[in-house]
Amino acid sequence: MPQFDIATFSEQIFWLFVIFAVLYFLMSKIALPKVGEVLERRQKNIEDNLGKARALKDETDAAIAKYEAALAEARDAAQADIREASEKAAAEQAKKTEAMVKKLSKKTSDAEKAIADAKADAMTGVAEAASEIAREATDKLIGVKVQAKTADKAVSAIVGE
Amino acid sequence: MAGPLEQFEIKPLADLSVGGVDISFTNSALWMVIAAVLVTCFMTLSMRRGALVPGRWQGAAEVMYEFVANMLKDNVGSAGRKYFPFIFTLFMFVMFGNLLGMIPHSFTFTSHIAVNFALALVIFVGVTVIGFVRHGTHYFRMFFPEGAPIATAIILIPIEIISYFSRPFSLAIRLFANMTVGHIMLKVIGGFVGLIGILGVLPFALLTGITVLEFGIAALQAYVFTILTCIYLHDAIHMH
Repeated sequence: MPQFDIATFSEQIFWLFVIFAVLYFLMSKIALPKVGEVLERRQKNIEDNLGKARALKDETDAAIAKYEAALAEARDAAQADIREASEKAAAEQAKKTEAMVKKLSKKTSDAEKAIADAKADAMTGVAEAASEIAREATDKLIGVKVQAKTADKAVSAIVGE
Repeated sequence: MAGPLEQFEIKPLADLSVGGVDISFTNSALWMVIAAVLVTCFMTLSMRRGALVPGRWQGAAEVMYEFVANMLKDNVGSAGRKYFPFIFTLFMFVMFGNLLGMIPHSFTFTSHIAVNFALALVIFVGVTVIGFVRHGTHYFRMFFPEGAPIATAIILIPIEIISYFSRPFSLAIRLFANMTVGHIMLKVIGGFVGLIGILGVLPFALLTGITVLEFGIAALQAYVFTILTCIYLHDAIHMH
């Protein structure tokens, strides 16, 4: 078997060491660092991109939060405006109503006073007429001339009741 | 028809000798050079662009890199990191040697015990040196595990010593036997194909199957050689 031919051992082992050493040098100094570098760069790139994506997402979230805050603020402001306007309108309305009530009650009281005056006037007119009629009647019926004062007294005694 | 052992013959291509030692450049050395050149081309040309998204060749080179790196990490841990170039070179050199041997009329330098044993001895001596450098005389503990009853020493120590020193032999002989037997088998069965006429289709079918198997073995034995080296390295760095 050629494998056990000791005469060939030295040449095989010599070239094995030479070629293996050269290959080791080429691998360790040139080939493997390059592969390692490429793999590392890829890993770094992936991590960078992930980081970038995460940062962009944070930014988006912040923008959304800001937008929502602004929206809420605007809604609050609008509601405050609406409330203020409606309160103002209600207050004005109340004031107008009060003025109107006052005016109406004044008119009512004026009218009542006028009616009372007219009634008093009328009452005095009636009393005078009654006393006149009473004097005429007594004169015509029994021929007695009654004093105006006496007739007035008698009438007011009856009407005043 | 060449005999089944002829394929293993060492043929000098250029006679050389230094100080009486024969260092002729042989067919074995030629195929080592071819393997080394192919490994170098594979690992450098494919990475030339160093693309972020790898192409087919770059992907293959990266797969080999990560395969060996993971093998080393899983078996040795991070302390094995600095031996990565050696382990990688070993794996690629042995695997390319095995696979190139599958080319008809080529030469399988890993089918030679001298080559395998020289590699195994380098690994054995290297690992032992690493062990003593890291642990000093405590490395002798390898031969008597911590916690074993002292009475078992008389049996354990010889067993551990034998198992430790048989490492280079088992490494070298396993690879030699696998490569040699596979190639002899292919040659013998291949011989039948022509000899028995039309019935030759049967050994031919068998030959086809075995050829596929041999490709598997070529890769597998390189893997076994490398992973055993990793395990020895683990022992040297972390003890048992």
